[in-house]
This record gives sequence, structure tokens and C-alpha cells, in this order.
Amino acid sequence: MKVLAVLDNPKYIPDIHGFLEKAGFSESTLYAVSNFDIPDGFDKVIRVDDVSSDVLVRMGDELDGFDIYIAPHTKKSLEALSYYAGYRGIPIATEIIDYIVEEKKIVRNILSGRGIVSYRVATPIALTIAPGKFKGSISRTPEVIHNDVKPTPSLISIEEKSFGGVDIENAEVVVGVGRGFRDKDDLNIAFELAKILGGEVGCSRPIAADYHWLDEDRWIGISGKKVRGKLYIAIGVSGAPQHIMAANDTRVIVAVNKDKNAPIFEYADYGVVADLYKFIPIFIDKLKRRLDV
Amino acid sequence: MDIGVIVKAALDVNVLRSEADGRISIENIPLVLSEYDRNAIYEASKISESTGGKVYIYSLLTWGPMDRKMRDFENVIREALALGGEEAFVVADKSIHYSEPMFTSEVLSRLIKKFGSPKLILSGEASTDMTSSTVAPYLAAKLNYNIVTYVKEMSLKNGYIEVLRDADEKLERLKIPLPSVVSVTGEINSPKLPTLIQIRRAFRKPLHRLELSDIDLSPVFSRYEDYRVVTIKRKNILLEDESLENVADKLIDHLIQEGVLKI
Ligand SMILES: Cc1cc2nc3c(=O)[nH]c(=O)nc-3n(C[C@H](O)[C@H](O)[C@H](O)COP(=O)(O)OP(=O)(O)OC[C@H]3O[C@@H](n4cnc5c(N)ncnc54)[C@H](O)[C@@H]3O)c2cc1C
Ligand SMILES: Nc1ncnc2c1ncn2[C@@H]1O[C@H](COP(=O)(O)O)[C@@H](O)[C@H]1O
Repeated sequence: MKVLAVLDNPKYIPDIHGFLEKAGFSESTLYAVSNFDIPDGFDKVIRVDDVSSDVLVRMGDELDGFDIYIAPHTKKSLEALSYYAGYRGIPIATEIIDYIVEEKKIVRNILSGRGIVSYRVATPIALTIAPGKFKGSISRTPEVIHNDVKPTPSLISIEEKSFGGVDIENAEVVVGVGRGFRDKDDLNIAFELAKILGGEVGCSRPIAADYHWLDEDRWIGISGKKVRGKLYIAIGVSGAPQHIMAANDTRVIVAVNKDKNAPIFEYADYGVVADLYKFIPIFIDKLKRRLDV
Repeated sequence: MDIGVIVKAALDVNVLRSEADGRISIENIPLVLSEYDRNAIYEASKISESTGGKVYIYSLLTWGPMDRKMRDFENVIREALALGGEEAFVVADKSIHYSEPMFTSEVLSRLIKKFGSPKLILSGEASTDMTSSTVAPYLAAKLNYNIVTYVKEMSLKNGYIEVLRDADEKLERLKIPLPSVVSVTGEINSPKLPTLIQIRRAFRKPLHRLELSDIDLSPVFSRYEDYRVVTIKRKNILLEDESLENVADKLIDHLIQEGVLKI
């Protein structure tokens, strides 16, 4: 087998290696196209200026003849690889979360996380791998070559996003905030609660993406981070599957919502039907007293 | 300038239907307009308001059996027309139970080339049911258009578009020449609900129903994969009491019992 990895971020190399190991391709010929230097883990690294659809297409024959084209499920690699697959007429399966070894099947979610599907694929195939699901390491010293195909000049400017550096995916306790909060300042009570419980604050997509009240590293959901600690307390979150299914691996889920019919209660172990502005201060108060903090 | 929007009639993720063995019965799940396609239609109609030109809607019925899904499919397309589409070209075919992105893109590219050929095509960032995010780039390759995905802001200039695209850890402001396919995020705009008048008018807008043979494709006889429900095992205990003090105490007791809170 010949495998070509399309990489726009070194962070996800263990995910790619992990998938290849689990699927039995760790002995394969392993090439990478990347926009950064890779000293280890591949037979050959083709270093390019940018990982973009037009660069891949213009590289021509150099990328021909691989059995598996693989990339992390990041926005940039996904775009480039999907386009390339379309250009070459290769089928594509995205956001793979698992590989069933005995049945040789790839696994992905459907229906915003409420369903799961597994199926066999034939090569050649293009795949994107969900971050955080596989972990592996293949050691090989690559031959590095540079390809100076230039991307179509299209970049006007880059804006950095702000990140506070929180890692809610590995937090044991997460307090999640949603649109039930009326104002950014009101989030203080969630931060206070998280502090008492030794946890982090996470949020629904609108809080990060629409209102920009919190950084995107706190965004929980199928298009954000997965949480899988021992406790998730969702406050003023309605419980859309795109949000709550990303917390389904958490041991205990608590929901606080003033609407008795909010879907979040179906996904919770303990539900409190109450106005968060009334309940959370009381809850904090009680916790402080009983925890003696 | 004419603009095309590709819209999906997606399985309603809020209405899950399944068998006792955990198999999802796709046949029984209703179809709704895929959430972020609303944003794509709204953006297209905003642009066309200022520049003139038509907004075309293109769609393939992804899920069969066709006779069970046709009514929902038509409602979705009518909704797309009410939201700002002016003319729709849609394909539904008895031979399709599930259409994968590769085939969907093939169908859409033929539809677009044959009817209208707009130089700007918008889509949602991901469909609500499959969230594969591949149809737009795949289609762009088939049409030989440029591609840019996860666009949070866009404006049409002379012969090109200027976009702000999300690239995970940063944002990129780009100048993309037309023709191009653009996928938009759910945050690019806030679509308004269609008014009653818009809904009524949608029924008079042209909706062209086609089969695969109309775009020179043969029947595919596709089938569903084995879709399974992800099990949710929760206790679903509602803590109710006149006094929120008591509720707070009860919740703390439960959390201690669960071993997730240490006193
Ligand atoms: C393809 C796709 C991907 C998506 N990805 C994500 C994702 O990754 N993460 C995500 O979060 N969403 C995602 N979404 C969006 C998702 O569908 C929902 O729109 C979103 O999760 C809703 O956020 P929310 O619960 O904060 O807001 P709402 O749905 O508006 O809910 C607010 C809740 O607060 C309650 N409330 C109001 N006031 C109070 C009060 N005073 N006290 C207590 N409760 C109160 C209300 O009863 C309501 O239930 C995605 C959607 C799509 C289509
Ligand atoms: N069958 C279809 N017909 C028309 N447009 C589609 C279809 N499937 C997907 N799309 C478009 O492609 C986007 C991304 O879908 P997906 O690749 O499934 O995540 C959707 O938001 C739609 O705009």
C-alpha cells in the first residue's frame, strides 16, 4: 500500500499515525505533503508553501498512484483533500472516529452524533481523521524534497484568533454555558462554579461563534471540542444533538434549564428545572458551605 | 450576477426513528432543510438584491425511498424558494436510497452546467445529517471552479469575491476569483423567517423536477449502510421542589453519591 498524508498542522501527525497503525498500514510506504518541516515519521516529505486545493492539483503526477490519501479533519486539509479527491474522482469518507480491525471497517458518526455507521471502503480512497480518536507513532527518517509550486495568490491578510489555552477535552469537570445567559458579564457565576468544582468553563456554539463571549477552545460540540470527564453541568443550554452528543462520554451530566421541555433533560442524569439566575447562586452558596471553601 | 445555492433535504436529527435492534430506520425520518443551507440562501439573496441576477436552487434527493420522501423534499425546496431562491432544479430518482458525496456532486455539477451555469455557487459548511463537508469542494473540482470553505464574511467585487474564512486556528482574508464554490458558516448572517407572502409566492416559482436520465446518468440502485443509534444511558432524574435550596442540596447529595464530588 502507498499512503499519502496531507498535513497543515504538525499537531495531528499522531492521529494519522494512530489510524494507520490500527488499520494495519504502518508498514506501508508513507509520504506526506505538508506546509511545515517534518523530521520523522514518513518515508518522504514533500514540503510545499501551502496545503491548498490548487497546490495539490498543480503538483500533477507527483501525487498520483497512492492507495490511501489521508488528512486530519481540519478545515484546511479537509478542503484541500476533498477538492483533490473530486479532481481525481476518488471517493472520500470524512471524520473517521474508529476502525474495526476484524471487519476492516471505518466508523463515522451521522445525524449530528446520534447515529453511527461502519462500512468497508475500497482503494483508492481519501479519508479524513477526527482529531483525538487515534494515537500512534511511526518512526522513519524521511527524504525531504521541496516543491515550489506556488498557490494562486489569494491571501490578503491573516487574523489570529485569541485562545486562552484551556483544554476542556481533558478537564474532569466542565461547566457549560449557553444562550440562557443574557450577558457576557453574567458568565462570572459559571466561572465561579467551575472554580469551586475544580473545573473549566465550556460553552455552546453561539456563545463562542456568534457572540464571541468566550474563545473557541471552550466551544463544545460536533464542530468544537468533545468533553469526556466525570461531570458536565450544562446551564442554559437547550440540548441540540450537535452540542450534547459531544458530551456523551462524560460520566455524569447535569442540566439546568428553565424550560421543562428542553431536550437537554433527555441527555442528563440530573435535571434542574429553574431559572439559572436564581438557582446557580444558591447552588454555589450551598457548595461553598458544604465543601467548606 | 446569477448565483446558485445547493441545498440539501437532510434527515431531521431531532426526530430519530429506530428499530428494537438499534438500527436507524431512515425510511421513517422526516426531511428538513439542512440548517446552514438557510444561511447560504440568505447570503445569495442579499448579494443578488444589490447586484441583480437570479438565485437558482439546486438539489438532489439524497435519501430514499423516493415515494416516501418526495413530499418532504418538495416542502424543503419550497422553503428554499420562500427564503430567496427564484427557480429550482431538483433531481429525485427511484434508484437512489442513499447518495454519497461523490455521486451527489456529479449530479449537482451536471444540473448546474445544464441549467443556469452561475459562476458563484453557495453551500452550507456541513449538512445537518451527514456533516461530511465534502460536497462543496468535490463539486468545485467537478465544475473546475475555485473553492473556499467555512466562509464567515463575503463580499462580491468585480470578477472576484473577498472572503474571511475560518482556518481553525486563524482566520484568512482571501481574494478568490470567480467562478467559485463557497461554503458558508452558520454565523455568516442571521436568516429571517420567510413571511407568509414569501411562502405563498414560493408556490408560483418554477420548480423543475428531473430524473437521472434527464442529466444523462444511469440509475444507480444504491442502498443504505447499516446505521445504528448511539445509545444514551442517562438516569433522567428531575429534581423538583418548591424550594431551590432543597433542590441544590439534593443535587449535591447525588453528586457525592455518584463519586463526582468530594466533601
Ligand atoms: C452542522 C451543525 C453543527 C453544529 N455544531 C454545534 C456545536 O459544535 N456546538 C453547539 O453548541 N452547537 C452546534 N450547532 C448549533 C446547535 O444546533 C444549536 O443551535 C446550539 O447548540 C444552541 O445553543 P444554546 O443551547 O446555547 O442556545 P439555545 O438553543 O437558544 O438554548 C438556550 C436555552 O436556555 C434556556 N434558558 C433561557 N433562559 C434561561 C434561564 N434564565 N435559566 C435557565 N435556562 C434558560 C432556554 O430554555 C433554552 O433551552 C450546530 C448546528 C449545526 C447545524
Ligand atoms: N443532496 C444534496 N443536494 C444539494 N446540495 C447538497 C446535497 N448534499 C449536500 N449538499 C450541500 O453541501 C453542503 C455540505 O454537505 P455535506 O458535504 O453533506 O456536509 C450542504 O450544506 C449543502 O449545501
